Amino acid sequence: MIPTLPATPRKTALTKLSGHRLLASPTGLAGTLWLAVMVTASLTAPWWLPFKTEDQDFTAVLSGPTAAHWLGTDELGRDILSRIFASAAETLGTSFITVIVGVGLGTLLALAAANSQRAEGVISRVTEIMMSLPGTVIILAVIGAVGTNIPLIMAILGVLISAGIYRVMLGQAKSLQNQLYVDAATVDGLSPLAISVRHVLPGLATTIVVQSALIFAVGLLIQAGLAFIGFGPPLPQPSWGGMIQSASQHVYDAPWLMVPTGVVLALTVLSANAIGNALGKAPNAGASHLPSAAIRRKRAGQAAAAAAATPAVRNPPAAGKLSVRGLSVGVDGGTPLVTDVSFDVEPGTVLGLVGESGCGKTMTALSLMGLLPSGVAVTDGQILWNGKNLAAATDRDMEGIRGREIALISQEPMRALDPMFTVGYQLTSAIRRLQSMGRAEAGAEALGLLEKVGIVDARRILKSYPHQISGGMAQRVAIALALSGKPRLLVADEPTTALDVTVQAEILSLLRSLVKDTGMSVVMVTHDLGVVADICDQVAVMYAGQVVENGRTGSILDQPRHPYTLALLAADPHANSAHDMPHRLATIKGQVPQPKDWPAGCRFAARCQFAGSACVVPVPLLPSGTETGLVRCVKADELAVEGMAWVATDSAVHQHVPAEVPARHRLDITEKDMA
Amino acid sequence: MSIDTPLRPESASTVHRMPMLEVKDLVVRYGHGRKAASAPPAVDGVSFAIQPGETVGLVGESGSGKSTIGKAILGLQRVSGGSVAFQGEDITHAKSGKRRAIGSELRAVFQDPNSSLNPRKTIGASLAEPLRIRGVSSGVARAKAEDMLERVGLPREAVDRYPSQFSGGQRQRISVARALICEPQLVVCDEAVSALDLSTQAQVLNLLADLRDERGLSYLFIAHDISVVQFLAQRVVVLYRGQVMESGPAAAVTESPKHPFTQALVAASPVPRPAEQAQRRAVRESLGVRTASAAAATAGGCPFRQRCPLATELCSTERPAVRRVGEADVACHYA
Amino acid sequence: MAMFVTKRLLMALATVLVVAVLAFLLVHAMPGSPGAVSLGAGASQDAIDQLNQSLGWNDPLVVQFFRWLGDAIQGNLGSSLIDGRSVSADLATRLPVTASLAAGATILSAIFGIILGVTAAVRGGFLDQLIGGFVGLLVALPAFWIGVIFVYLFAVQSSVFPATGYVPFDVSPQDWAMSLALPVITLAVGGAAFIARQTRASMLEALQQEHIRTLRATATPTWKILYVHALRYASLPIVAGIALQFIGLFGGSVIAEQLFAMPGLGQAVQTSVSTHDAPAVQGVVVIATVVVVAVNLVLELATKFLDPKLRAS
Repeated sequence: MIPTLPATPRKTALTKLSGHRLLASPTGLAGTLWLAVMVTASLTAPWWLPFKTEDQDFTAVLSGPTAAHWLGTDELGRDILSRIFASAAETLGTSFITVIVGVGLGTLLALAAANSQRAEGVISRVTEIMMSLPGTVIILAVIGAVGTNIPLIMAILGVLISAGIYRVMLGQAKSLQNQLYVDAATVDGLSPLAISVRHVLPGLATTIVVQSALIFAVGLLIQAGLAFIGFGPPLPQPSWGGMIQSASQHVYDAPWLMVPTGVVLALTVLSANAIGNALGKAPNAGASHLPSAAIRRKRAGQAAAAAAATPAVRNPPAAGKLSVRGLSVGVDGGTPLVTDVSFDVEPGTVLGLVGESGCGKTMTALSLMGLLPSGVAVTDGQILWNGKNLAAATDRDMEGIRGREIALISQEPMRALDPMFTVGYQLTSAIRRLQSMGRAEAGAEALGLLEKVGIVDARRILKSYPHQISGGMAQRVAIALALSGKPRLLVADEPTTALDVTVQAEILSLLRSLVKDTGMSVVMVTHDLGVVADICDQVAVMYAGQVVENGRTGSILDQPRHPYTLALLAADPHANSAHDMPHRLATIKGQVPQPKDWPAGCRFAARCQFAGSACVVPVPLLPSGTETGLVRCVKADELAVEGMAWVATDSAVHQHVPAEVPARHRLDITEKDMA
Repeated sequence: MSIDTPLRPESASTVHRMPMLEVKDLVVRYGHGRKAASAPPAVDGVSFAIQPGETVGLVGESGSGKSTIGKAILGLQRVSGGSVAFQGEDITHAKSGKRRAIGSELRAVFQDPNSSLNPRKTIGASLAEPLRIRGVSSGVARAKAEDMLERVGLPREAVDRYPSQFSGGQRQRISVARALICEPQLVVCDEAVSALDLSTQAQVLNLLADLRDERGLSYLFIAHDISVVQFLAQRVVVLYRGQVMESGPAAAVTESPKHPFTQALVAASPVPRPAEQAQRRAVRESLGVRTASAAAATAGGCPFRQRCPLATELCSTERPAVRRVGEADVACHYA
Repeated sequence: MAMFVTKRLLMALATVLVVAVLAFLLVHAMPGSPGAVSLGAGASQDAIDQLNQSLGWNDPLVVQFFRWLGDAIQGNLGSSLIDGRSVSADLATRLPVTASLAAGATILSAIFGIILGVTAAVRGGFLDQLIGGFVGLLVALPAFWIGVIFVYLFAVQSSVFPATGYVPFDVSPQDWAMSLALPVITLAVGGAAFIARQTRASMLEALQQEHIRTLRATATPTWKILYVHALRYASLPIVAGIALQFIGLFGGSVIAEQLFAMPGLGQAVQTSVSTHDAPAVQGVVVIATVVVVAVNLVLELATKFLDPKLRAS
């Protein structure tokens, strides 16, 4: 089957995209308008200016704005408006020389450096030297040698500035050069030059435009500054800097003179900056892990309202029991990410939240700690911990729970530790805070914790910075950090995904023994069914923001009831060993739907081999008939009775489907001997 | 599987033909200068061959040098020693002209579907690029691109779309289409399915298997996951810190591994059957392999010795020679 | 570490040498021979030639350069063609002026820039937008224009500060500070805006790091996350920004010196360029480079010290 394409509007060239961004920002739009007016006005100046630049009106010397002289006159009675616009074309034009030389040279250098490590070494050295030079002094020395030849001076300024542009561009050029499509083009035999032109340069387009706008502003300012100290175009030719200079002589008797030229210069610089900033704004910057004070205040208000709205919990559950009821998480102001999720975690047990990317398992886990990223919040439901509803708790309440009762370990141990502080500092300050210990006591406790998580040379690790230890070691440290407040529940978000399998096995063993020794419980988020089989007592399978099946791990993995679970197991090559590896794996057609595309009925129906007309209505989570399991499928019973298997159906277009499904495609799993 | 599907290793090994790819004593060092020369190389004397129609899996953990080997074969990484021969021709240091000549025969599929297609080019432009470089007219290239998209299960209209309009699995299928559009002989798949979810991973694995059977392709399939490798490969090469630990038929290596490292690797890979997994865990714990973090990288001897339960004095002084144990070639003094 | 310092020192030395050569060549490209410049328009060609000969102007360039370099290493930068004064002695009195200006402006802009930037990043919301707009405006206003306005406000309208002139520190520390106030503030306005932007961006980036979530998960108080961990993470780019700012201010002080009649290096380079006083131009360029490179080196070592990854290697 050929999937239909999403009906998104066709995206065209990057320029269109950035143009859109420019118009979307009010300041960017205003800047563009002002620059357009300036350019048009200065180019057409000879035809509309009321006076010649040297016309002197002795009846109105140093006058303010009048009907004849809209912006006033200078000390010789010359019209300010005329002088500003008469000199505008040259001012703007010569500043553009700096842009072309500076950005052009900087980009070329960046392309060359990205292309070869050796070139990068040389160019970076040279530009480092250029950047540590007193630029203004050098420009003045150049003026001494070549005179006030403004275009040449502005070009040389461009050369000096190119070092900075190179610095800005290099990182991006290198990251583009390291893209796999560049590798693919190299494998094709495309020459390095062609790769730079076809694949790297287009990616720099936005940055080039942004830098051009910013450098244009710098050029304007420096040019005006030079004219201000007497190195402008030869007199009596007007220039903005020169006009401000002569105005400054009359700041005692005619302060108004400072205003017109200063404002026009400032507005032009402001416009160029505004354009640069509007285009340069990263469209989707990463979310902050600590929302700003303004957002936190808003959140606290919402939490208070939610707490008031939720009914008091009747039978408070046992200590250390987590009970999630009807939890929904969504993006602020709309799209749901998790809907109506319920599960329980008994003390001393491990619950697996398993599913593919985008199913909402990580959001569910983070909501348990009140650590959802900025812009995402719990929208409904309860998270009951020791009888307290954490979904309605304020950040202040949560501070008493985080670390002390519920702790977190995350996917990438290296990024989870602060690179600027030693392991020892991070661990002991957490212990001192969470266990109210003194410095010495906390130090001993830190050592004990590291030994407890299986680190042999704990003393050395305490003194190390995170970058000095391996990934597996860092995850052990992160676990020690999580244990520092003696929590009763550990939320582990894909804790072994970034690790090698042999290290993964060690970390899983460690977690298992910690659960056994301390009696804490674990919520383990993972996409790996093997990890679930290894460590989880209970498992909740998630799909598109819902729990589709949950129950005891043994019953779910050995007798799955939901078609999605069936399909996942059939698609997993780990479910087979070499001698019974099928020639084709089972697949699930299509993709996990985006939250905005979730249907009202069964969210898996569109991809399900067994879907029928009954699947278009919302499906509740009902007892599955195996032990305490629950399943969200109207056909679960039917499938169980008939012993249906998920078969490999994605046979490629013009391939015939095998007439007979080999026996090993069926999901009647038998215990096999380990080789 | 159809009957004429090429080439189980049993049949391949009996006939002596020119291998599709032959890597001999490959050494790759990163960096320059004295410091780099004294550090253990990223790839240290690796040799293997791929016969026509054969899929060889290259397995190892992070830092094992498996991706570096792929890059060296593709000319993306400077080779410090040894040789790479493609269809009998030495391509160890081939420049872009030579690469262009063999680039239609030797192609690649990379790991990250987000970065393996230029986001600023249409799918059609990306697919046509390798053809256009070789002088195919744009009309013909476009028609071929549409055919190839259809073959990997995407609509022909996709040629005018941009990569951002496709999901990770779809993009990876487009990457496969791009690799196969020149009708290559050998495709290097560098972690080609590692970034994908289970269900899409299965789609791409099936596609790769189908295309191989249809066209008699050879693959060098590089992956960290031994189960994924075992699905596709007839022979497996296991790497540890840049050296080959064990190589042999996939079934033999994965089901009765001989090298202590391969044993550890296989035992650590979890299976989604709780009862069996409990047994595997017991086996793994009984192996007595020491933790990876205790082992610092040192030159000389066997690279696995600090973690190995069998290690003796000999292992730190003498690098084990490769010898035949059962069906596999094993680099261990005591296997 | 010692290796790194040596390498950087050599690099700095190379920078100064390159600039010395460049300055030397530039000065030789200046219109008019030293004799002509020194003796003025009315001098006879013979007198000019004779003076040029005695100054060594007719020797090969390489010889002239090494003669100059030899003298320079001993602290002698030649004498002015205009008034015959020793360039070294002149610059020795001017350097403290520019150094006080640049250092004062850098410190002031660092203090205000960091406060504004951190506030914008941490408070967010309306305050962030307000600071953003304010900072954007300050970046766009040219320093010389701001300076004139300050003179108008603080010296003309209310004589809080003296409008122009410089009082050396050893004459009267209090007057010294007063005479520096307006030029330092003038220069610091743009600098503070620049550092505020850098600080805000770095803080926001720091708060996006995953370890911030770990800190929250271990109940670290908000103030500590912000001002110990995030600020520490952001400190590297902020310090780099301050270094750049100092370089810019050291050169950019030309304008402030002209505006406020401060007898600093900037004024020297401006006058000597106008009068084609070659030894003076050359001297200023080299001295300015030495100072800037030295400060840059110190700040680079500071950065190195701040980053555990660099410190360890």
